[in-house]
Amino acid sequence: MNYSTSQFKNGMKLMLDGNPCSIVNNEIVKPGKGQAFNRVKFKDLITGKTLEKTYKSGESLEGADVMELEMQYLYTDGEKWHFMEPESFEQFDLSEESMGSAINYLVEQDNCIVTLWNNNPITVVPPIQVILEVIDTDPGLKGDTAGTGGKPATLNTGVVVQVPLFVGIGDKVKVDTRTNEYSGRA
Amino acid sequence: MSEVKKNLVRYQDLIIKIREFFYSHKVTEVKTPSLLLSPTTDVYIDSIEVKVNQAICRSAELYLHTSPELEMKRLLSKGSGDIFQICQVYRDNEYGKNNSNEFTMLEFYRIDFDMHHLMENIVDLLAALGKTEAITKISYAQAFFEYGNIDILNSDLKGLKKIANSLGLSSNYDWAEDLQTLLFVHLIEPKIRQIPICFIYDYPKEQAALAKIEGSVAHRFELYLNGVEVANGYQEIQTANEYRDRFNTEIYKREKISKQISLVDEEFLKDIKDGLPNCSGVAIGIERLFSTISL
Repeated sequence: MNYSTSQFKNGMKLMLDGNPCSIVNNEIVKPGKGQAFNRVKFKDLITGKTLEKTYKSGESLEGADVMELEMQYLYTDGEKWHFMEPESFEQFDLSEESMGSAINYLVEQDNCIVTLWNNNPITVVPPIQVILEVIDTDPGLKGDTAGTGGKPATLNTGVVVQVPLFVGIGDKVKVDTRTNEYSGRA
Repeated sequence: MSEVKKNLVRYQDLIIKIREFFYSHKVTEVKTPSLLLSPTTDVYIDSIEVKVNQAICRSAELYLHTSPELEMKRLLSKGSGDIFQICQVYRDNEYGKNNSNEFTMLEFYRIDFDMHHLMENIVDLLAALGKTEAITKISYAQAFFEYGNIDILNSDLKGLKKIANSLGLSSNYDWAEDLQTLLFVHLIEPKIRQIPICFIYDYPKEQAALAKIEGSVAHRFELYLNGVEVANGYQEIQTANEYRDRFNTEIYKREKISKQISLVDEEFLKDIKDGLPNCSGVAIGIERLFSTISL
């Protein structure tokens, strides 16, 4: 199905140069003496890159069959990451490349949003905040409880996050997955 | 004071200041008809048609003016001298954050002003309205060199299509001017958003509209306030024959893209048969201007 510029709105999923994209911003520009255009900002759902295009009003683009579903992360076999849609019990798997930074934050049983394109998973968005366990970090300075300094800590997914000095091995910490920042002790 | 009242007073102050500016420059305020016998010939501007006098058996189709330009030019050709007008104008098929089917236009003409002189006059007007940010003036060609590394004046239809394709844009346009505008909207406008007051002048001759042409450029300019088009001005063509040619070009284009067309307004051409004085004129969108001003 094709969508004309007059139907464009934020969040709409369309095909662009062979990739599914989402409209981030759609602006109608009508120069006083010229024809009307739509200046559109897209996010490529596969590469994550932002694209800017300008269309003559009335041009159309093919819709992309894209769905975002909440799924449960099951396990990884080292090559693929496996997910399950909890209502249909249907299972999906993603490659390391498609997982992107989600690899750093997902532990088994976690819920996350998986984007399907033509029923194939293309990206995973982890929850904004996840709870992970510290498996390695230097011992903190005695008496430091205010968390004024910081040190790197390796968490159970392998990701390294700056944590306050008082955090030790075995502690559970909250991490903001958008910024890869420590946001508190769990 | 309520927010509504505050805004109304602010708008009133703007209009008062505009009038005071022109009165002090000895520019005469005029009022011209807004119901016209002919629709505009502009290829990308559509007049709104109105039917009148049906009940009294004098049925006629008239058109709301899309700008007071031609009516004011009638006055100029008859010796009005410097004139200005603030009026409501109407356009069909306009929609968007910055567009609507009716808006308020300030249009004025200054005798013996060239394009640069008129831009200076607008700078003075903006200053009188409290807009005193730094002024950027850049030619259309220079803007393309600077922001797009494109030689716009020496790119023909084929070359422009290639540029559009290289940017991943459709090149399905019939005329060079449409591709120029596409590239302007795509590349230049987003860049000049950072500039509070930006004049772009010397448009490619294909976009002359009713401006004088010299070599490959037309002495036409536009004013952008933070990337939003606010004014469009010309050093005006003067003879009836030039007007006839320009109208015919637009009518031809309208026909090509299957838009409603009208005949050349012969009454207008007859009225200006002695020619317009040497002058420059500009139309300014008041609502867009108002939104950038804090009086």
